[in-house]
Amino acid sequence: MLEIRNLTKIYEDGTKALDNVSFSVPDGEFLVVIGLSGSGKSTLLRCINRLIDPTDGEIIWNGEDLAKLQGEDLRKARRKIGMVFQHFNLVERSTVLTNLLTGRLGYAKTWPTMLHRFSKADRDKAWATLARMGIEDQAHKLARELSGGQQQRVGISRALMQDPELMLADEPVASLDPVLAHSILQHLENLNKEDELTIICSLHYLDLVQRYSTSVIGLREGHLVYQGTKKEIQKMTDDEFKTIYGEEAVRISDTSLEGSVGEVVEE
Amino acid sequence: MKAKKDRVYKEEPSLPSLVPAWLAALLSAIIPGLGQSLGRAIKRGIIIFGSFASLVGLLIWRFRIAAPRDTGIVDIVLKAFRLQPVFIVIAVFFGLMYIWNIVDAYQVSKAAGKPDKRKPVIVFALILIVFFLIGWQIGKIDLYGFVTQFDDSFPILKQVLWPWEKAISYPTEEVIGTAELGYPCTDSPPPQSEPREEKPYLIADPTCGTPTLEEVGKNPETDEWERMVTPGTVIHVEGFNFDPDQEVEIWWRDSAGRFYIHRDLETDTNLKVMPDEDGYFEVDLVWPFPIGDTIRTNVQGVAEWQLQGKQISRIGTWEISEELELAFVLMIETIFIGMMATFFGVILSVPVSFLAARNLMSANAFTLGIYYFVRFILNVIRSIEPLIWAILAIIIVGLGPFAGILALTVHSIAALGKLYSEAIESIDPGPIEAVQATGANWFQIVMFGVVPQIIPPFVSFTIYRWDINIRMSTIIGIVGGGGIGYILVQWIRNWKYQEAGIAVWFIAITVAVLDYVSAEIRERFV
Repeated sequence: MLEIRNLTKIYEDGTKALDNVSFSVPDGEFLVVIGLSGSGKSTLLRCINRLIDPTDGEIIWNGEDLAKLQGEDLRKARRKIGMVFQHFNLVERSTVLTNLLTGRLGYAKTWPTMLHRFSKADRDKAWATLARMGIEDQAHKLARELSGGQQQRVGISRALMQDPELMLADEPVASLDPVLAHSILQHLENLNKEDELTIICSLHYLDLVQRYSTSVIGLREGHLVYQGTKKEIQKMTDDEFKTIYGEEAVRISDTSLEGSVGEVVEE
Repeated sequence: MKAKKDRVYKEEPSLPSLVPAWLAALLSAIIPGLGQSLGRAIKRGIIIFGSFASLVGLLIWRFRIAAPRDTGIVDIVLKAFRLQPVFIVIAVFFGLMYIWNIVDAYQVSKAAGKPDKRKPVIVFALILIVFFLIGWQIGKIDLYGFVTQFDDSFPILKQVLWPWEKAISYPTEEVIGTAELGYPCTDSPPPQSEPREEKPYLIADPTCGTPTLEEVGKNPETDEWERMVTPGTVIHVEGFNFDPDQEVEIWWRDSAGRFYIHRDLETDTNLKVMPDEDGYFEVDLVWPFPIGDTIRTNVQGVAEWQLQGKQISRIGTWEISEELELAFVLMIETIFIGMMATFFGVILSVPVSFLAARNLMSANAFTLGIYYFVRFILNVIRSIEPLIWAILAIIIVGLGPFAGILALTVHSIAALGKLYSEAIESIDPGPIEAVQATGANWFQIVMFGVVPQIIPPFVSFTIYRWDINIRMSTIIGIVGGGGIGYILVQWIRNWKYQEAGIAVWFIAITVAVLDYVSAEIRERFV
């Protein structure tokens, strides 16, 4: 159970990215965060694993307030939270295998890793993960040589290497075409269903939200403006969608998903 | 008034001219540019005035130099025209420029206040032409001389371009054949040399006579004291058993044991004779002056002289010449100067580059201050040429390769520091964020998130710098910083063009190979 209480983030330049946001995520949930660019989705996700330090509020996870953790404790907590990024954030000049092993850094001893030494168990785990994601044959390629979809699978694999209990996905399919988007989200769905991994994922496409989420929250200018269950989101109308996304929002039809697809909002 | 849209050279809706067009023209005739300035084209007026002022200054200077001894403007100008016709061309264009400046003032002030009027550029074209012509004169550009003298320099250029005759040498040995002479002639003159097998010898005929003598005496015809020279005996010399096709020098040993080479008085050069294919030569020699006053004699009262035929003859087969060996050894030294400078440069510039990377140093005002300071210092160091650094280094550590290494190291730190810091600045923060999110600590983040991103550009820049440093080290010797440049300059100054050619070839080959190798390696990393 992840519980966010009164989370507020004000950046140094005075931007209020999150304003008193509170919600909770039961274990095993596939929570989708929707909202315009700049609505605070990325900030929210990065506050949870503390890539960004929140200004105020609590992030209670497994009885611990993540917002207060420092140093070693923070790193230990981060190990259990995997993260997938919009632009994959792979180390492009390293091999796929090295990118995966990066996921074990939090568990490994510092000095062997300085020499790129990882335990046999870690290596076996890497190969098993590659096999699970279907990219075994890419292991020794440089990450930059892979296609976008493959890169995102490496990104997910890296997160899986952490043995995460919670997976944060920051617009994981925004850089991919619709077919790949489905493929990546199906991977996440599998992890959610088979491994009972809690997933918090920000998305732009309403269709994908309706297809994959088990619950949804909406952010607008740092405020929590919508909270809905899977049933509610299925019935969501364009008008409701627009209250979150603003007037320029366009719903994508299922047909357009197969051909050309436009984003709901222009970034 | 509404401007037509989408004109490329659209002017601001300008104000009308302050003076009528004719007055602007007149003012520009008095002070170039003044008319334009009053015609609402102030910048144009200032540029024109500045150009005129500097051109007039330059012309006064160049005319004075061309006719330094004349006074009076007319004399100076006419003399300069006569001596260097390029001045006529300059004067013509200067006049054109002056006239067009007046026309320009008229046009500009007429056009002022009207929209969409392109301003003419002819006056600037004329200004540029005059500057180029003066540059031609200052630079003493002489294409005619370049073409005609090229011919004369061809023998030397040929030596530089194809120097390989000097690449090999033969071990040599001095062989001498002698003949004995006596002065004055007695009943028993020195005997003829015994013919020798395989070894050279001279036969002199006669074997006695008189050296060239001079005395100061009264000329009986003019009754004046003067120096009188009595030419010495002409001696017919035959040489045997010398090496064919190798020059022989003729030396004299006088009775006091002093050696001197025989001068050919007609050409005023050392006499050299060439034996035929049998090693034989013959030559008539005038017995020269003895050196000094003393003529030492033996117990019979005879001064014993000796004639020597000296030949430097090749023995054995060819070997690598000293020059080739020296050039080779110094080329190796050169390459290592470049390498060591790169090595030290890399080690020292890595920490510096972190201080010069804006993304790392923009945390607060203090670090930002360090950033600006380091950047400033790097720019200053970089703008000073390695040759000047070498001169400074020589003051400290003296001549030699270490000075060259120091100079190139200093320059490398500045150049690499800048390149490295730019590589650091262009790091993608995404992967770092991702590695941080896995729970990695600081060292692991650097090792897995930062290092893989900066290694390739660092390697690429380092090889690039190595390439530059070796090229630089070939010339750093010119000021005494060690390496092949030092000996290259020595050879050029001593007119040893073939030897210099060998050095030039070595440099060219090394640089070409290096260029290729460094491009190949860098391609793999970029």
